[in-house]
Amino acid sequence: MRRAVLCIAAGVALLTSFGVVACRSTPPPSVGSENVTALASPSPSPPVSRKSSAPAKAGAVTPTGLRIPKLKLTATIIPVGVDDNGDFAVPPSVDRVGWYRYGPGFAADRGSIAIAGHVDSAEQGKGAFFKLGSLSPGDTVVLTDSEGATREFKVVGRERYAKTKIPLDRYFARDGKPRLTLITCGGPFDASTGHYRDNVVVTAVPG
Amino acid sequence: MRFVRLAVAATAGIAGMAVLATPAYAATSQVSVVHGIPGQAVDVYVNGDKALSDFQPGKVAGPLKLEEGDYDIVLTKPGDPVTSPIIKVDDAAVPGGANISLVAHLSADGDPTLTPFVNDVSKLDPGQARLIVRHTAAAPAVDVRAGGKPVFEDLTNPKEAKADLPAGSVKADVVLAGTDTVVIGPANLDLGEGTATIVYAIGSADDKTLALTTQTIEGLHSAPGGVPSGTGGLADQGPSAPWYAAGALGLILVAFGFRRLVR
Repeated sequence: MRRAVLCIAAGVALLTSFGVVACRSTPPPSVGSENVTALASPSPSPPVSRKSSAPAKAGAVTPTGLRIPKLKLTATIIPVGVDDNGDFAVPPSVDRVGWYRYGPGFAADRGSIAIAGHVDSAEQGKGAFFKLGSLSPGDTVVLTDSEGATREFKVVGRERYAKTKIPLDRYFARDGKPRLTLITCGGPFDASTGHYRDNVVVTAVPG
Repeated sequence: MRFVRLAVAATAGIAGMAVLATPAYAATSQVSVVHGIPGQAVDVYVNGDKALSDFQPGKVAGPLKLEEGDYDIVLTKPGDPVTSPIIKVDDAAVPGGANISLVAHLSADGDPTLTPFVNDVSKLDPGQARLIVRHTAAAPAVDVRAGGKPVFEDLTNPKEAKADLPAGSVKADVVLAGTDTVVIGPANLDLGEGTATIVYAIGSADDKTLALTTQTIEGLHSAPGGVPSGTGGLADQGPSAPWYAAGALGLILVAFGFRRLVR
């Protein structure tokens, strides 16, 4: 009799622990998606002819540093483009993050300043954006440029999308309201391919 | 006074391409005007209304937003009445929803003429730029070289050639077809990502007025294909295998205990 009760008690304890761990490890749900959608341009802009034979506009100002006080994170930003597959060329060094140099820059007054970093890597361990998914609306993100100027942003949305469904056009838009978009990987990890299923996207607006 | 008629074939070609290139937009077309005739500023009239004043050679103006339809286009010397044209085109067909460059230039023989080009504004792959070269000069066939290597060969007036290239700077020059005789350039072209750069060879070889003028069309970019940013699996959100084992053991213990209790 006593042994039976002990068995049940031990079993319940184990089950409860499992339940707590399972709940705590459930990824936080997306928040603020409607805010993010509202920042996009309402309709796709048609191509724009530039008036004269004037040379192209001076390149966008490169952001050089990223600071997220809540995550105790300070990371160096390097300008990047795309790799041979046409994917975002995320810096291989996981403690650095990459700014999409073809899109809006540090001082952008419209469009999405897109910055991506590794959540982790098999060789180097945890990356700069390991905790990106724990940011919430209201958290502060600070960009700096090479002159030491800073620009402060407030998080308005945190979203998670399967990589096959993520609306990348919205996060790499060059029109619409000015915003900062931080992207990394998340969700279930497929050990056979060495990739995560999802992308985690944090959107912040100047202010 | 010179009357020029748009080639029927060219106009029909525009109409055909515009059908393919007309998705959701209204029937309005964007028409840029390019002035490629050296030494003569002009006023431009569309259907009798002055659209551009004192338009200088080598410049690109517009885009004018024109509804689909037929237009009378007249170029005069600045201030001259519309009845005294340098170039006059009646019933030029403007298709709906297209991006067009209307180029005033010299024919291969040196006669002022107007040629419409439909601009390829299809989306570019990420990281790419589009280079379009148009021969609109009173000159024989040419090759266009980038970094010393021919990229477009045997281009004749009024034809165009184009290619999608990695964005960046290229040093381009124009040589007589099949030779190393440079007739224009070299010039540095900054090919912006997601941008079409249209280069016009204008002027006259005989008059030694050959030059380049450029027009750019932005907004042809597309987003990267994906953001691969993790290979470690450390951030996988599910409980790890030992926890699943603990959970299973818990279930067995509970079941076992209850069986002992009821016996």
